[in-house]
Amino acid sequence: MTLLSVFNDLLYGLGVAMTPSNLIVAIIGLLLGTAIGVLPGLGGTNGIALLLPLTFSLTPTSAIILLASVYWGAIFGGAITSILFNIPGEPWSVATTFDGHPLARQGKPGIALTAAFTSSFIGAFVAIILFTFFAPPLAEWALRFGPPEYFAVMLLAFASLTGLEGGSPVKSVLMTLLGLLLSTIGFDIVSGQPRMNFGLVSLQSGINFIIIAIGLFGLGEIFLTVEEGLRIQGVRGRISFRDLLETWKMFPRYIATLVRATILGFWIGVLPGTGATPASFMSYGLAKQFSKHPERFGKGEVEGVIAPETAAHAAGIGALLPMITLGIPGSPTAAVMLAGFFIWGLNPGPLLFTTQREFVWGLIGSMYVANVVGVIMVLTMVPVFAAINRIPFSVLAPLIVILSSIGAFAVNNQVLDLWIMLGSGVAGYLFKKLKYPLAPLVVALVLGDLAEQALRQSLIMSQGSGAIFFNRPIALTFVLASAFLFLLPALRGFWSRRRGRVSEPVEA
Amino acid sequence: MKKAETVVAVFLVLFSLIMVREALRLSIWSSIGPGAGFFPFWLVLGVGICAVVIVVQSLRAPRAGDEPFIPPGAWRPLLVAFLPMVAILAMLRYLGIYIGGMLYLTGYMWLVGRHRWPYIVFVSILIPLALFFIFEKWFFLLLPKGILLERLLYGP
Repeated sequence: MTLLSVFNDLLYGLGVAMTPSNLIVAIIGLLLGTAIGVLPGLGGTNGIALLLPLTFSLTPTSAIILLASVYWGAIFGGAITSILFNIPGEPWSVATTFDGHPLARQGKPGIALTAAFTSSFIGAFVAIILFTFFAPPLAEWALRFGPPEYFAVMLLAFASLTGLEGGSPVKSVLMTLLGLLLSTIGFDIVSGQPRMNFGLVSLQSGINFIIIAIGLFGLGEIFLTVEEGLRIQGVRGRISFRDLLETWKMFPRYIATLVRATILGFWIGVLPGTGATPASFMSYGLAKQFSKHPERFGKGEVEGVIAPETAAHAAGIGALLPMITLGIPGSPTAAVMLAGFFIWGLNPGPLLFTTQREFVWGLIGSMYVANVVGVIMVLTMVPVFAAINRIPFSVLAPLIVILSSIGAFAVNNQVLDLWIMLGSGVAGYLFKKLKYPLAPLVVALVLGDLAEQALRQSLIMSQGSGAIFFNRPIALTFVLASAFLFLLPALRGFWSRRRGRVSEPVEA
Repeated sequence: MKKAETVVAVFLVLFSLIMVREALRLSIWSSIGPGAGFFPFWLVLGVGICAVVIVVQSLRAPRAGDEPFIPPGAWRPLLVAFLPMVAILAMLRYLGIYIGGMLYLTGYMWLVGRHRWPYIVFVSILIPLALFFIFEKWFFLLLPKGILLERLLYGP
């Protein structure tokens, strides 16, 4: 693994991404993604789950480029509604509303939008460069992983979801275990015997992850929005050339924030399990702590837009690193993409780097291309995307319901799945209202089979002794890191009590 | 809100009880190591314990100043969104996704959006038609068309 070979692969990947068909796929993905990001009630995770059935007819490379571009588009687009309408189009753009909307209210929507897109782009671009150079050695290193190491990495994913998402740790643990439990329905992967299906043949193939994701995130979100009664009123915004120059002139001042937010975001993204959402909140909190004028935050501080946006996009990129190198999703959205790997006939894992060069490097190359195209697109097309919000909710809500049903049906061509989707939708609504986090459930559901296989193989290797996770150095490191992250909420409470002040609650 | 918290957690406890019965039918440990029931059994146990903790927590939480789980005015829009979904799914064999979707759009736009009828008719024909061309013609995804639409398209 030399630097030169990485450059070679990167050039090859850029070539793959620039072929006309892949370029068109990326642009369609970006347009769809930005629209998904703008629309409240239709999130990136759900949007990607809905599009998954449409990728069956594409090649795996085009399929992953499409879904990844949707993800980038959704991250860009989430900022538009946050700033102009004070409604976060995505969970990761909640923190952007804090200062973005006040700025728009003060008659500076152009500045807020430019700051959001530019910082989002910078965070993404630096993260992509880090990605390019971290991914190959990580994949090579991961080739040496055995079942205990894999199980320990998955433990890290679950621990970071509990430790970083905020909210009630008991509920996070419950949702993780519930996700793993639901994944055991169907066949036992080791012995091949049917299990946990209550004797029902229709449950024998298991409950499909995509259907649950569409129900939880798609319908659940619709029910919530219906209940709150969506009223969109906001500031009209466009970006003038003067806004661009004025905002860009400010950027050198925020270099420290940009660096901090990028590193934090990328790191949180790479951490299996958690993605852009906790990264954006933590970055906002950190920027406020480091700022000389913390009192200006929440009233229209440009830095309060830059910090969460940079981190969110860096985390979005970072989240794909464990997905492509280990086969472990770095975020709930990456979990949905990972579900696609199996459908496209790929086996996620470190071997992808050697066996699927076009797929892996095509994806990496497309990250460069799609983010450059994406930032130009959003900077020039704000009024077009903002206009999407003029579609009445009474048209949008039923449309999303219909699209969700089509998406859920297309996975297995089973009407039963539509009922499962409806049930998950009701569950998603109840869980969200009662603040049960959905991200751990989704990630656990995707990882369930792998986690069980890794755990059981490890225990068979060690003849039933759990010590195998402690006497192998790599596994031990992951186990210790998991323990630290898991105990983080308790530690955070302890520190803030000692310092005699209540720390910012980090919401999911 | 507190009541809903308790109810959902109690439901999760019941769910774990049902699942634990399923798990106990399988072998937890075999001669070569963990069996098919090993993973499900410990997971159910974990879910159950967490759910019991939440039940206890919710019972001990103060009830004063509690808001209703669903605000009084929100029942109507929620039911308008939910009940037709159930009805259309139940009749999917006859309606299919396209006609079912058209009915759902019409009903929702009429009851919630209170749009004018020409607009409602236009949109609820346009969207299913567009979806039909995108999915059936462009992506070759065969969706349930229902007996009604099949009769219309291909004759009896």
